[in-house]
Amino acid sequence: MSELSQAPLGTETITLKHADHTIIKDLSVTFPKGKVTAIVGPNGCGKSTLLNGLSRVHRPSSGHIILESKDIHTMPAKEVAKKLALLPQETSAPDGITVRELIRFGRHPHQSFLKQWGMDDRTAIEFALKAANLEDLGERLLDTLSGGQRQRAWIAMSVAQETPLLLLDEPTSALDLGHQIEVFELIRALSSQGKTIVMVVHDLAMAARYSDYLIAMKSGEIIAQGTPKEVIQPSILEELYGIQCDLLDDPSTGTPILINVRRSGAPVTAKTSAASKKAKCDMAFS
Amino acid sequence: MSVFDSTSRSYVPAPTGHWLVAIAGYSVLIDKRAIQRNALLSVALLAISVLSLGMGTLSLAPYDVLLALLGKGDSMTQFVINELRLNRLLAGIFTGAAFSVAGCLMQTVARNRLATPGIIGIDNAAMAFAVASVVGVGVSFAPSAMALTGAATATALAFMIGGGSGTRGYRFIVAGLAIGSVSAAVSQLLLTQVHIDVANEAYPWTVGSLSGRPEEQIPVMGLITLIGVLSGLVLCYRFQLMAFSDSVITALGHTPNRLRFAAVVIAIVLTGFAVALAGPVGLVALVGPEMARAFARHKGLPLLSSAICGAIVMVLADLAGRTLFSPIEIPVGVITAIVGGPFLLWILIRKPKRSTL
Repeated sequence: MSELSQAPLGTETITLKHADHTIIKDLSVTFPKGKVTAIVGPNGCGKSTLLNGLSRVHRPSSGHIILESKDIHTMPAKEVAKKLALLPQETSAPDGITVRELIRFGRHPHQSFLKQWGMDDRTAIEFALKAANLEDLGERLLDTLSGGQRQRAWIAMSVAQETPLLLLDEPTSALDLGHQIEVFELIRALSSQGKTIVMVVHDLAMAARYSDYLIAMKSGEIIAQGTPKEVIQPSILEELYGIQCDLLDDPSTGTPILINVRRSGAPVTAKTSAASKKAKCDMAFS
Repeated sequence: MSVFDSTSRSYVPAPTGHWLVAIAGYSVLIDKRAIQRNALLSVALLAISVLSLGMGTLSLAPYDVLLALLGKGDSMTQFVINELRLNRLLAGIFTGAAFSVAGCLMQTVARNRLATPGIIGIDNAAMAFAVASVVGVGVSFAPSAMALTGAATATALAFMIGGGSGTRGYRFIVAGLAIGSVSAAVSQLLLTQVHIDVANEAYPWTVGSLSGRPEEQIPVMGLITLIGVLSGLVLCYRFQLMAFSDSVITALGHTPNRLRFAAVVIAIVLTGFAVALAGPVGLVALVGPEMARAFARHKGLPLLSSAICGAIVMVLADLAGRTLFSPIEIPVGVITAIVGGPFLLWILIRKPKRSTL
């Protein structure tokens, strides 16, 4: 793929460990430029660990993370922060700050004690407010926002950081459907402005609908990657989640939809049948 | 409020509530409310100081106090003010500010309001080391150097036992409590090993006292406090990021452990020197920053307000100790413990706020 050769971010045989436990071993991956990449996979597959590795939160025990053809851990922290923004899963902010004040923190990599404020800061903050559709909420306290608005405020903070790359760790995990779509549409809008986006997404349907490129992970390894249509195949889903399903194309967007999802081995209509109970027992003893 | 910015040759409006000072490409934001509140706090400190100088066995009107400070008035008054009370007042202001700023920094590092040097045993350890040098266990360092060593040792121990970088809240505090009680016991044990007169003399200091502190140490303390507060203020711009999670700090281009290390070093130096001079008056570190937060309503780190509030608390507590049961003098550490204990309970039982700090 031509996009891959000019990938701004990737890994070279990285190994990531939690204490002595290896989560990811010798993984190499690149993320296509200017696209939205979603990393999917079952719980504990290492997708969040990979994202933490990419954002320097978790240092790999071997291998390299390559940002614009340089090893990320040899670059000054501030330089990296001008190129790579992260929206982590758990977010806590200082007490009593407003949306605008939160977004201002995104300017930190561009500032220092003696360069605290300039025209570029102001422009970037106004742009971020506008991009996240928060212009009317700038002076509101962060605590008083709805979940979706708050998440958009955090994304706006990373927009103000003015980085070509944005990583998001389950950006919609605690949101209801309406707020999820609100956030994903913002992510698409940022992508259309040229940002390269890598996100960990739990919901496969949402990942298929809002990403250009899917990476499917299981037990710390990539088992499939490509366009959502290429990756969302019954055989791959069975390997990933241990489920069987049929696929339909969404009539309006053309993205795959999973229907008739069932546990592997269970019969087609298995709501109350004895077979499903047996399958449960099999699972329990397996 | 806009200011001419010489780099972009245009007016840059500052964020709401700030003044922008922009000269030759440099720009610093000044929080209007913080400046206003700190000015008020400074006036309060000044008033309390004059009051404190005037009160005691020889009671003086504020006017006479000011005259004496300017080198006028009768020689007796001048002697009482300039030779006796002024040193004590300055010792109180410097150590109070030092304790309080150290408390504010440690709270920020541990993301816990209880994690002040007094609670996590830094004071007591510094004291134990300082007592060791005074009662003479073959160690010939100055008390302040020993106190500093003690403070650093206790902090390192608390971090080691409490688990790395101090983000594990209560584990860190419990480790510190243990270190604190062992250290306090060591101080007492050391005092039992010396002649009763030496022990008696050292006693007020081991519970925290501003009475008869060595004069030559006071300017040193002033310098240390000034350096500590100034470096805190410069680094405050980064330290305020510690209210975010480590991932956000990293994403914004800072190294969380480096920020913590810098904050802890400043806190240790301030606490070590303050303990060497005034003893373990650690509760000031709890009350000062809390007062600062309540009064200054600062969104970042209220370091300067903490310094002033700490000084106010210390001077007031010493004044109370000197005058309440005159001629008997109550050590300042006892006063702050009597006031600080209930205050600690109030922090615990008060309706918890959503944030961690």
